[in-house]
This record gives sequence, C-alpha cells and structure tokens, in this order.
Amino acid sequence: MDVPFASGDFPILSTIVLLPAIAGLVMFLVPKRRCDLAIPLAVALSLLPLGAVWYLLVEFEVGTAGFQFEEQVHWYRDWGVSYHLGVDGISLLLVALTVVLFPIALAASTSITDRVRQYAAMMLFLEAGILGVFLSLDLLVFFVFWEAMLVPMYFIIGIWGGGRRVYAAVKFFLFTAFGSALMFAGILALAFIAGDQTGSPTFDFVELLGIDITRTAQFWLFAGFALSFGIKVPLFPFHTWLPDAHVEAPTAGSVILAGVLLKLGTYGLLRFNLTLFPEATVDLVPVMAVLAVIGIVYGAVVAIMQSDIKRLVAYSSVSHLGFVVLGIFALTTQGLQGGVIQMVNHGLTTGALFLLVGMIYERRHTREIADFGGLQRVMPVFAGAFLFIAFASIGLPGLNGFIGEFLVLVGSYLSLPAYAVAAAFGVVLAAVYLLWAYQRMFTGPVDKPENEGLRDIGLRERLVLLPIAALVVFLGVYPKPALERIEPAVQGILDRIEATTDYHVPEFGVEADLAGGEG
Amino acid sequence: MGANLDVVAVAPLIAVVGAVVVLLMVDVTWKPGPQVWGVIAGIGLAAATGLAGWQWALHQDAPELYFSGMLVGDGFAAMGALVVYPLTGLGLMAGWRLVTALGRRGAEFVALVLLAGAGAHLMAASANLVMLFIGLEVFSISLYVLAGFTRERADADEAALKYFLLGAFASAVFVYGVALVFAATGSTSIYGDPGGSAAGLPDAILPDAGIQSFLEGTVVFRPGVLLVGAALIIVGLGFKVSAAPFHVWSPDVYQGAPGGITGFLAAAAKVAGFAALARVLTVALGAYVADWAPAIAALSALSVVVGTLLAIVQTDIKRMLAYSSVAHAGFILTALVAGGDGIPDMWFYVITYAAQVLGAFTIAAVISGATRGRSPLQAYDGLGRRSPWLAAVMALMMLSMAGIPLTAGFAGKVAVFRSAVDAGYLWLVIVALLAAVAGLFFYLSVVVRMYMRQPADAPGTMPAAPHAGWGARIALAVTSAATLVFGIAPWPLLDVLRDALPL
Repeated sequence: MDVPFASGDFPILSTIVLLPAIAGLVMFLVPKRRCDLAIPLAVALSLLPLGAVWYLLVEFEVGTAGFQFEEQVHWYRDWGVSYHLGVDGISLLLVALTVVLFPIALAASTSITDRVRQYAAMMLFLEAGILGVFLSLDLLVFFVFWEAMLVPMYFIIGIWGGGRRVYAAVKFFLFTAFGSALMFAGILALAFIAGDQTGSPTFDFVELLGIDITRTAQFWLFAGFALSFGIKVPLFPFHTWLPDAHVEAPTAGSVILAGVLLKLGTYGLLRFNLTLFPEATVDLVPVMAVLAVIGIVYGAVVAIMQSDIKRLVAYSSVSHLGFVVLGIFALTTQGLQGGVIQMVNHGLTTGALFLLVGMIYERRHTREIADFGGLQRVMPVFAGAFLFIAFASIGLPGLNGFIGEFLVLVGSYLSLPAYAVAAAFGVVLAAVYLLWAYQRMFTGPVDKPENEGLRDIGLRERLVLLPIAALVVFLGVYPKPALERIEPAVQGILDRIEATTDYHVPEFGVEADLAGGEG
Repeated sequence: MGANLDVVAVAPLIAVVGAVVVLLMVDVTWKPGPQVWGVIAGIGLAAATGLAGWQWALHQDAPELYFSGMLVGDGFAAMGALVVYPLTGLGLMAGWRLVTALGRRGAEFVALVLLAGAGAHLMAASANLVMLFIGLEVFSISLYVLAGFTRERADADEAALKYFLLGAFASAVFVYGVALVFAATGSTSIYGDPGGSAAGLPDAILPDAGIQSFLEGTVVFRPGVLLVGAALIIVGLGFKVSAAPFHVWSPDVYQGAPGGITGFLAAAAKVAGFAALARVLTVALGAYVADWAPAIAALSALSVVVGTLLAIVQTDIKRMLAYSSVAHAGFILTALVAGGDGIPDMWFYVITYAAQVLGAFTIAAVISGATRGRSPLQAYDGLGRRSPWLAAVMALMMLSMAGIPLTAGFAGKVAVFRSAVDAGYLWLVIVALLAAVAGLFFYLSVVVRMYMRQPADAPGTMPAAPHAGWGARIALAVTSAATLVFGIAPWPLLDVLRDALPL
C-alpha cells in the first residue's frame, strides 16, 4: 500500500462498498425453508451501509474541494491500475441517496415471492456496484463497477419483472453495454495518452487531470464518454430503453433504476467529461444543451399522453434528467449546484412515485389511469401521499424539487438564456402531466366497482414512504447542508474549466458571455 | 558448442509419451478398466506438469537451445507446457463419461488425448519451423481421430473427415510457407543452430544464423518471397486457431465431435495455435512486424465481426460456441498486433479463454450427453431451476466470454485491448469492443433461457435434472474458480506471464 489512508486508518469507503456485497453473499446462506426471512434480513443488512454513510456525513469536512477519505492501493504498475476511492461533496450526496433508497426499495419488495433469496442478493450486489461507481477514482475500477452493476439489474428486470421482462432486460443491457464499449475505448486511449506523456500509463483520475490532451482528442473522448453517460441518463435520443426497463422492472427495480441508476449518467458527465475534457465541454455546450431541452419538453409531452401511470412516471424521468443535464452544461455555479441537488431530488420523488404506483398495482393489478377514479374517497392517505410527492416533483416552493429546478433555471439563464426559457415550459408541463393524472385517478366519484373495496396503505407502506417524505420537506425547507457540501466541489470543477480554457463563468451583474475570451 | 542433448528439454514429453506407451501396453496385456487408464494418464500428466514447472524454474531467466537448435527452453515454452498438460488432464476429466462409454476403445482415446497434449507442447517449444510442423501434425492428427471417435454417428464421421481434409490442406499451406521462408532466408531454424550449418554447407563456410538474426542483420531487397511465405504460415496457423476466414470447419467439427472431447479440442487448439503463431511472428519474423501486423489486424477484425454475427443466429450451443471461438480468436489476435509486447497479454487471454471454453463445453456435454454431437439451445430452458449449480457455472462462463467485469474474460479483454491501443490500433479495439457488445446478445440468450424461461414441452413436469459425473464436476470447479479468481485478481497471473517470453 503506497498511499496511507488519508483520514485515520479505517478504510470507511471500502467498507461502504463491501458491506452490501457481503450482505448479498449472506443471502445465499438463508436456508431454503425460511426464505421468508430473506427480505427482512436484507433490509436489516442494508441499514449497515446507511450507518456507515451517516458516519461519513458527520465526518465529512465542509468547505474543501478535494477528495476526502481517500484510499489508494496500487494494483498493477505496468498498467497503472490502482484501487483508488475517494468522496467529494457531489458523490457524498449521491452515495447518501443510494444507501437511503436501497433499504426502502427492499422493504417495498413484499410482492416478490419467487426465488426471494436470489432477489435480495441481486439487490444488494447492485447496491455495492452503484456505490463503487460513485466512489472510485480510478477509471478502470470505475468501469469495472459500471459494467458489473448491469448484471444484477439485468437479472432483477429479467427474472422478477413484468410481462415483457426479457425484452426489457436484454434491451437495457445491450443499450448500456453499447455505450460503455466506446467509453472503454476512450478509457484505454486516455491511459495510453498519459503513458505517452509521463512514461507510465495510468487510469488514475486525479493523475489524468494533470495530462495534456489535444483539442481533437478531447472532442473524440468527450463523445465516447458522453455517449455512454447519455444512454444511461438517458438523454434524448438514447432514451428508448428507459420506458421498457422502468415499466417491466419490479417496483423496487424501478425505484432503484429511476432513483439511482440514472444518476450514474449525469454523475459521469459531471465528474469525467467536465473535468477531463474541458475544452470539448465548452465547445459542445450547445449540443448537450439542445439535447437536454429536447429531453425536458419531449419527455414531458410524452408523459402527458401516457395512459399507463408507470410509463408516465418513467417518461417524467426523461424530462427531469434533462433539467439536470441542462444545469450541468450551463457551466455556472448555480447550474451545477442545481444539477446535483436535482439528482438527489429526482431520486427521492421519482423513487417515491414508483413506490406509490407499485402499491396501487399490488391492489388492483392494473396501471391504466382510466381504470381508476375517485380513489381519494377510498384511500385518503394514499391520495395525500401521492399529491404530496407530485407537488415535490413539480417543484412546489417549500418542497425539495423547487430548490433544484430554481437553481438550474437561474444558472442556465445566466449562460444559456434561450434554453432556460424553453426549459421553463418543462416545469409547467410537469404540473400538467402529474396533476392531470392525479385528477383522473383520485378525484371525482368512484365509478368502478373494483375500486370500492380498496384498502388504504398500511403501516409498513407508510413507514416506507415516511423517510422519503421527511427528506423531501427537509431539503425543501433547509437545503443549506446539502448545498454547502456541493458548492466547493462544483466550484473546483468550474475553476478547472476556467483555468484550462478561455471560458469565463458568468455571474450576476456581468454580461453573460458564452464565447469567453474572444469577446 | 555441441548439440546440447540435455534431457530437461524433452522431460515432460518423455513423461507423457511414456505414459501413452505404458497405457497401451498395459491395456493389451491385462485389459484393465477405465480406472487404470485414468491412473496412468494422471500420473503421466502430473509428472509432465511437474517437469514443466522445473523447466519454468530453469529457463525463464536463462533460455537455452537444445538438439541442434530444434527445441528451445525458455519461459514461453515452459508456460506452454504448464498450460497444456493441466488442460489435457481437465479435458480428460471433463470427458470421462465418454471414455467409459467407449468400452475397450477408451484406452486409445485416452492415449490420443495425451498425444495431442504432447504435440501442443511441442508446438510451443519448437525452435525450428520443421520441428513446429512435426508438433503441429502430432497434435492435429490426434484431434482428427478424436473428433470422429464415435464412429457410429454419421455426423461425427462427417466432422472428422471435414476436419481432416481441411486440416491437411492447412498443414500443406503451412509447409509451403515454411519452404518459401527457407528460400528467402536460407534457414528453417528460428534462432539458428549453434553447432550446425546453413543449407548443408560445412560450418566453416556459413554457420546457420537462423531466420531471426538473418532478417535482423540483412536487408532483403525483394521481400516478396519472404512475405508470401509469412502469409502462408499465418494462413496455416490461422486455420488451427479458427480465425476468419479460415474458420469454416469449426462449427461443423465442434457440433459433430462427441460432446466429451469438444472442450479439449477447442481449448487446446487455441493454446497450441497461438503459441506457435506468437513465436513465429514475433521472433522469427519480428523484424517485419510492420508488414505482418496490419494483416493480423485485418484477420482480427474480420474474425470478431464474422464470428459474432454468425454466432447470433445459431440454435445449437456447440455451433454457437464454435462461432464465438472464432470471435475470441480475433480478440486474441489483437494482442499480437503489438508484436512481442503483447505476448503476456496473449497468454493471459489464451489461458483464461481455455478455461472458459472447456467449462462451457463440459456443461454442454453434461446437458446433451458426452457421446452425442448435437446440443440444441432449448435444452437450457429453465435450467436455473433444475440444476442451479450447472446453470450458475454456465452463466458465469457466458458472462466471462462476453467480457463482463469481475470475470477473467474482462481482464483478458483489458489486457489484449491495452496492447493493441499501445501499438496504435485504436480502430481495431473499437471494432472489437462493438463486436463484444453484439456478442452479449447470444451470451445473454443462454442466460435468458436458463433463468427466465420454462421448458416449452410439458409445462407441468420438469425434465429430470442432468447429472454431472465427478470428472466433469472437477473440471467445472477448476475452470469456474479460474474464471472468477483471474477475473477478480488478475495481477498475480499477469505478473507471472511477464516472464513467459520467447528467447
């Protein structure tokens, strides 16, 4: 071990990644006769990483830009591969989101009755993979987690999913793997460029920041990485896998898919594209912004037209993630901050929406909006929860969605005013699709006899929703703890772009100037 | 200097061939059962592996030429032996059902498998193209017979005959290539013969310098003959490793050959073929790397694309694996475009692929029968419920061949692609990566059948769970352990392979 652990001797980040993986292996030890214990045990075990991340949140030093809790072990010097983990404000929040959503998703998996142990194991392996992606600072290790994570998700959709699950699972796998292939070529090329310049190839993210990449190379590498991340986000026009995967996945799978997996794409854009290829980033802002705005509007319009509530929520993700991408490529402090906080918000609200859809599906075995009506009278608590989350998703002030969308719009107005105006329509459209769906499902008379006897949500379901609701209110009322952790990391990224290109981050009171030094 | 007849150069070969002789003698004299054959073969292979380890310890830092420059003792040759003999043992274990089913003829079968192993080792250790040809023939002829060993089945006969005719043709092409290289360089010896002379002339006039030093020290003004010779050698060996467009035999042969031996057939051909190809190209023709590397790159690109696309449409798992092995030949070739620098990476891929393909074919033999040829994909529907262990191992092999991280297949792809990128062949890597993604389609389809489908006929009643013999179980345990261990921690093996270089 060449580099000692930066803070203390305890490898807390490795622990966070390993805990779910070990828990996943433990699942196979559950005796077959008692497989009813698998899910409760998995929930309990998934609280361990939550505890570890709580420690991380407490110990995290606010106000510094660099990576903290770094761990590095050189694996193979010939290749320049090292096991390098680290966390900054951005990944901290996403890691926290991940470990919060997994126990919730597992606790909501009571409808899984077939091969329960394997299901719980796959969920826990998936958690380990996702945490690894957020925490690794070596591109090869990052890629290992990135690809390995596909396997459990593929099984979750393919085995425990709905009617067209095999089609959705294979489509999901192939789309993502296709993007990854080009990113992988890019990663190898990056290591080679580093080897050319310094004499020793390296996959280490921090070391790669120090190498000099020509403009042309940056352009191609940006394209390779952005394609991979863009498919994951998903950016228009790479989004077609998303409705299938979200709709066919079991409830917990959809929660994780929308809540966490999509963020891997935006996280990758933010972490790697912006920092490693700053010149290409500045040049390609218009392309990314156009795709983001198309995604915002297109996702919202298609969501309005859906007759299946789960598909509606799935398309709303396309729209919301467009906001995140727009915020990132606004290249302003507010935009980036908004983008990161919006990732967390979307994870919470869309996760909750999928949970709610799952609850109603378990009762009625249909997701057609037209099959419902007047549920307010039958299931008042459920209706209240749905409305509450819908408001959070729309961005009602006082709830978390507002902070994110507001910052994104402000930030992008600074640098990309026309796009910001177009994106603002997305906010309006979000109100249309969610509230209209609410109106059709919950208001009016109970005109279908099947809906009359529906049970309202019980204690377990309320407990599942409660932590999300609490976080929605907390982040909406008091976002400072989150924002002040993101801010230095975001500032660091922008400083790097300013230092390596002639781009100048616009601020209020200064003329917006995308062309930078040319003016 | 003398001819250097040190027995260490041939010690593993003596052990294996000795075991073959003892096996046949004992068999005709006492007519014992399969257990005795197994014991004799096991002792022979264990001794050969141990002696190969001795060679490794002796030669990895101090390579030497033996038998008038016919054999070479270096890290590369020793690694070849260290891979081939355990692989032969595993191959025998995987196909043990077949050996017992063959009755009295089983002894010949075991003997031929051992001889094929010896031939493969000889291919890795040859320092002379003529010697290489002898190794190639010992290896190939054993495999031709093995492919058609179940004579009762017409498709096995067809497979063996096809293999034999095309193989003989490829051998002839190879020899023609050797002849042309001899014409251009005046030698068939790669390193030269310290004690001999060139073209029959007395020592004093012109000592045989060998192809390598001739090409390094001489400017060949008209390299046409040399390059045609090199091309023909590549064609001949490309046939053995089933690189496209010389692959047409492999699907029929893999499908027709008895299930119990197909895994060994596929794995050993890759190990031996690539060992020979690597030594000829990077050592003998090392000075001409700029000329042959583009050809290898073209073969590689063609193999990954053709192999992958044809694998997608197969309905028989053995045919699918045959086409996938064409694609894998292409992946391995990407390491060779880097010349000598790619050899450790090539070894890594070859070793891990040998484990995967042996494991996959072993399962195919368990599912469809060790003596049978055809192995339809439908047999895998719902395997995850019937035999969770077999399905898990098969899924592991499929994911590994597809190159999913935390399996050896991924580490191997990183290794060979890294070599190719270093050599400036980024386009080839991109082609190979895209083919790898397309390959996911058919690897995943096996996983889909095993875990996400129910058997189509007779929905209520499950077909009986297939039963793997102890030999197959050991082979599966070893190959899946190798696939996992080298996938999670490939570094120790990569470190060792850095010494597995040719002289």
